[in-house]
Amino acid sequence: MATNAPHGTHVSADDPHVLLDDDYGLYEPIPPYPPRTERELEFYTPGDGELYLNMGPQHPSTHGVLRVVLKLNGERVVDIDPVLGYLHRGVEKLCENADYHQTISQVDPLEYISSLFCEWAPVMAYEKLLDLQVPRRAEYIRVLSGELNRIASHALFMGWFALDLGGLTPILYAFIERDEIVEMLAALTGQRMLFNYFRIGGVNGDLNHDFLSRLGDWMSRAASQIEANTALLNENEILVRRARGLGVMDGPTALRYCMTGPNLRATGVPYDIRRAHPYSVYPELDFAIPTRSEGDSLARYLLRIDEIKQSLRIIDQCLEQMPDGPVTTKLPRLLRPRPGRAWAGLEGPRGLYGAYAISDGTDQPFRLKIHDPSFIHLQAVGALLPGHLLADTMAIMASLDPVMGGVDK
Amino acid sequence: MDRALKTRLEARFGTVLAGEVRQRHDQTEVRIGAKDVVDVLRALHDEPDLGFVVLADLAGVDTGREMQVVYHLWSSTTSDWLRVIVEGLSRDDPRVPSATFLWQGAEWMERETYDMFGIVFEGNRDLRRIYMPPDYTSFPLRKDFYLPDDAARSPGAGVRHMERTHHPAEASEAPLRSGTGA
Repeated sequence: MATNAPHGTHVSADDPHVLLDDDYGLYEPIPPYPPRTERELEFYTPGDGELYLNMGPQHPSTHGVLRVVLKLNGERVVDIDPVLGYLHRGVEKLCENADYHQTISQVDPLEYISSLFCEWAPVMAYEKLLDLQVPRRAEYIRVLSGELNRIASHALFMGWFALDLGGLTPILYAFIERDEIVEMLAALTGQRMLFNYFRIGGVNGDLNHDFLSRLGDWMSRAASQIEANTALLNENEILVRRARGLGVMDGPTALRYCMTGPNLRATGVPYDIRRAHPYSVYPELDFAIPTRSEGDSLARYLLRIDEIKQSLRIIDQCLEQMPDGPVTTKLPRLLRPRPGRAWAGLEGPRGLYGAYAISDGTDQPFRLKIHDPSFIHLQAVGALLPGHLLADTMAIMASLDPVMGGVDK
Repeated sequence: MDRALKTRLEARFGTVLAGEVRQRHDQTEVRIGAKDVVDVLRALHDEPDLGFVVLADLAGVDTGREMQVVYHLWSSTTSDWLRVIVEGLSRDDPRVPSATFLWQGAEWMERETYDMFGIVFEGNRDLRRIYMPPDYTSFPLRKDFYLPDDAARSPGAGVRHMERTHHPAEASEAPLRSGTGA
């Protein structure tokens, strides 16, 4: 935006027009500075008939604030360059300056759709640092609430996915499901979204009557409710035809892209950390690892529905096998684990959630690295998208189910 | 804890490993130097009896004396997570070969590590900042980067940990960005 001030007129440096007229073309797709890397040079050198299109950061369907620069040839996407950082909060730095208990609430809002898994990974890493044995009842409660959170996340995915393909109705149904679960978890944890429920050595509070009665109510009709919701989508010819063959990835490529979770299993690789590297009480539970071989958007969508059914099985078993006993371990207010390193990885609704904690013997973690699957999967969009139509950009991105809070940390 | 993995790693890599193979809980840890990264990662990934095909995480660490790059790997041949620590990187000019020749997905993880620590991954073809703005000059997760906190000047200063590490004089020396741009 150019200033209208005539030449020689004094313009205050505080004038917003001056700021916008700066040489920093924030909203120009082509950066004014010389390309910094080989890849940037390649991306910003247009071929014959190619043009750039800026999408975001405030785009209704980017699931958060994400800016993507698309290189187009006609209506076909040639290449993309995602620009991240709009939600970057420096959580890892904040965690280095908080004590061990405080970090749990810092990592909570990373992935706000499935917060319990964000908490679980660092808590598990700390427990390894402290050589702590978690009470079995606490482990069962963690699995139970975690699987509920997984269903809530997948239910929302179904709505989002349809929304990004142009269907408005399914998200309204998806929210019925999700709302019931978050209300249930609110009865258990006190919060609807950012639960802050897991504690080092256990959980904050035992199962209560409100939670159990809501859960019982919901479980009695969950299967049929989910069946009805999926029928709305699975038998929808528009959705199925559109999603089939969209953004195909094969197993070896997915592994090279470090993909995990449903996105990897949709390519036929049966890698689920609950089985591949068992943790908590998952070895005692009976459930299957659904896989699909197509590797396209439809497979990623259908796989999540299969996972919901498995999660329902796990919840049933948790309720049956729930042992009695304490749900927390007595720990001092300030923890000082002996110096060492610990890594914990677990299977969340989007894939591998991990935490690498280093202790230097003080009451604050020396370093806490959070691994978030959304960050990894968003990267793979660059491999899936080329050759597809512009209108399919959001469909492919939505099928990978990234959450920007986790991407930007 | 997989004892067999320890003997396998010692037999395969021998003197390449700096120090002994450590094991604790479900993790096995090896340390190597930056010059051996390519060979070790390639062997871990490609050799069928090792088969570490999943790169679970790539992290940078600033110990205050040196920089480290830490890989976490998973294989179906063992019940342990394998942690490969690349140690002894200088804090002034940390350089390490990129892992993108094996895992394309390491590209963004390396960008993040570069952005936060300034560790240069040689061979990564897109090594630019990923979170911070392009004209940003600091590396926030380095230990000499203090967390600016207005509360440090509050009456409660010195009580919270966050404020104890804060030195206003040093914070003001940090390069401040002019009011333009992002």
